[in-house]
Amino acid sequence: MERIIVVDDESSIRLLYSQELADEGYIVDTSATIAEAVGLLGKNSYDVVILDIKLKNESGLDLLQKIVKEKNNMLVILSTAFSCYKDDFSAWLADSYIVKSGDLKELKDEIKRLLESRKEKTKKV
Amino acid sequence: MALDCCWFNPDRKLKECPNIKEGEEELYSSPRKRLVEKCIECHCFLDDLQSFEKDNPLYLPFSILREEYLEQKGYLQSIAGFLSSKSHEIKFLHELSIVLQTSIDMDEVLSVAMTAITSGKGFGMNRAFLLMVDREHKYLKGYMGIGPKNYEEAWHIWDEVEKSDFSLLALAEHFRNRDIVKEKEKFRDILDQLTVSCNDKDHIFNRALQQKTPILVKNAFDNSEVNPELARILGVESFLIMPLISRNRRIGILLVDNFVTNRQITPRDMQSIEIFAFPVAFAIERASLYEKLQEEVDKQTTANLKLQKQQELIVKMEKMAVIGHVMASIAHSIRNPLTAIGGYARALLKKPDNINSKTEYLEYIVNEAKQLEKVLEEVLSYSDSLYPVMDWWDINHLVKSACNEKELPLEGKKIKCLLNLEQDIPLAFIDYKQIVFCLKMIIDYIVTSQPLLDTILVNTGHGEDHVFISMAAEGIPISNDLLTALTTPFATIEDMRFSASLPLCKIILEKQRCSFSISELPEGGNMYCIKLPRRKEE
Repeated sequence: MERIIVVDDESSIRLLYSQELADEGYIVDTSATIAEAVGLLGKNSYDVVILDIKLKNESGLDLLQKIVKEKNNMLVILSTAFSCYKDDFSAWLADSYIVKSGDLKELKDEIKRLLESRKEKTKKV
Repeated sequence: MALDCCWFNPDRKLKECPNIKEGEEELYSSPRKRLVEKCIECHCFLDDLQSFEKDNPLYLPFSILREEYLEQKGYLQSIAGFLSSKSHEIKFLHELSIVLQTSIDMDEVLSVAMTAITSGKGFGMNRAFLLMVDREHKYLKGYMGIGPKNYEEAWHIWDEVEKSDFSLLALAEHFRNRDIVKEKEKFRDILDQLTVSCNDKDHIFNRALQQKTPILVKNAFDNSEVNPELARILGVESFLIMPLISRNRRIGILLVDNFVTNRQITPRDMQSIEIFAFPVAFAIERASLYEKLQEEVDKQTTANLKLQKQQELIVKMEKMAVIGHVMASIAHSIRNPLTAIGGYARALLKKPDNINSKTEYLEYIVNEAKQLEKVLEEVLSYSDSLYPVMDWWDINHLVKSACNEKELPLEGKKIKCLLNLEQDIPLAFIDYKQIVFCLKMIIDYIVTSQPLLDTILVNTGHGEDHVFISMAAEGIPISNDLLTALTTPFATIEDMRFSASLPLCKIILEKQRCSFSISELPEGGNMYCIKLPRRKEE
């Protein structure tokens, strides 16, 4: 079973994502800060990171860079209330970028698509 | 002995002497003067002198004295003529120098200079050419010519000038207004052929400039110093090359000849033109510098206009960027609660039967809806802040009102609000509603940022031109970076609920001439201080 970590400073969003994704059959952990997320990433192995960009006074893009450097196999989806970060070069490091919405279908579809794509790549190798 | 001459006769009557002309009648009453001015040259006087016996002892000395007198008189007359011509020349140069010294118009300077050289009232030369060193100092270029191109034209021009009886300056003005372009075109072929490179050091023009002395060329067609081609272009045997030098700078040369009359250019002509050449060179340089200056001024003016437009554009873009920033902040503040509300609502719809076990979802929906209302209130307050309603208000009343509104939420978090209000505090000129809003925002911020807070101490007081409200909250002090961000409107895109409130307060307060500052408390935590004006803005 795939494991997902949701990094978002909004407790309502963390709860919503964890419940919805758990219903989809994923194991979901949540984190409100980068430090907490780094701790969890060190402890567990995750398939997908759903990462908010603005975390109170921290930037999710810093965590993204760290993840890309250290854990290349992990899929990162930037999930943010801003659409303007699509133009930020560092945001391009992510595997996907979605704008937060009350309808989580897009997020769920994207997770599925990315996981399947990774599976196919692994098969080819 | 009877004498023919009447010089000794003091009683000569009017019109009796043929040598005394009209206007000289006073000589009849002054025999001494008459003798010196008229009789001594009179043939009767000479006849009388010759009629003396040769052995008369007075004959020889008298004859010598008479001859010497006439010689001296002739000499004096020539000196007087020379002085008169010099006086005329000085007057002419003075008149010219006034124009040359005061003019900064290149065409005016050149018109006066060229007319002075060629006019009969000036130096009376037939033709003149002006060659000027170009801006890059690479070429000595033919710039202007003046004078007739052939004999027919010469007679025509001189006849016209004689009839018009213009003064020299009037002639120059006439030339400037009517003929300057025509003359340039008339001599274009010659002017183009006269152009030489400044590097051609052997060329006679460059030599004159190099030596800074005029060169009077004679026998041009058979002169080893002169390029035969130059003699052919000019078509004259003799011409004068006058260098124009201003403060050691090579301005150009004047080429002068008597193309029509073939009159020899004398050393005296050369000397006069040389004296004239100094102010001309200076005036040309000044006019040229003025032209350059004018060009630079025009460039600067154009650049300034462009800069002004760019600045306006930048300001416009900055405004757009600020608006974009604000919109992004607002969108962010709205999207997060909307995501939660929409997400939870959908989750509830998926499992409507199990709604009782999802009260947590409902609580989130209610909380996020409240958050949306708060965002809306902030946005509307910002809009209101653009047009504050100013009046005189008691800030103690204002503080009590704001703290009363916050009493319940503060009690819920077990936070006390202690008021220490100055008695009889002066009134402040403010928008009451907006200041209350700011106080509430600051209290909210303090509560959110200090989780362990138990007391907020609110003070009021006054200074010479202001009253103040300060709120002290002990706890962890705000970092400098965050402090800058918190007091800079739209400095960073942060969560509106948390950090946009203080920048918004700052905007609102500054619009009312109030100041807002945050300082660190010695015991930890921060002091938030608002200073409100006691006077109306003039």
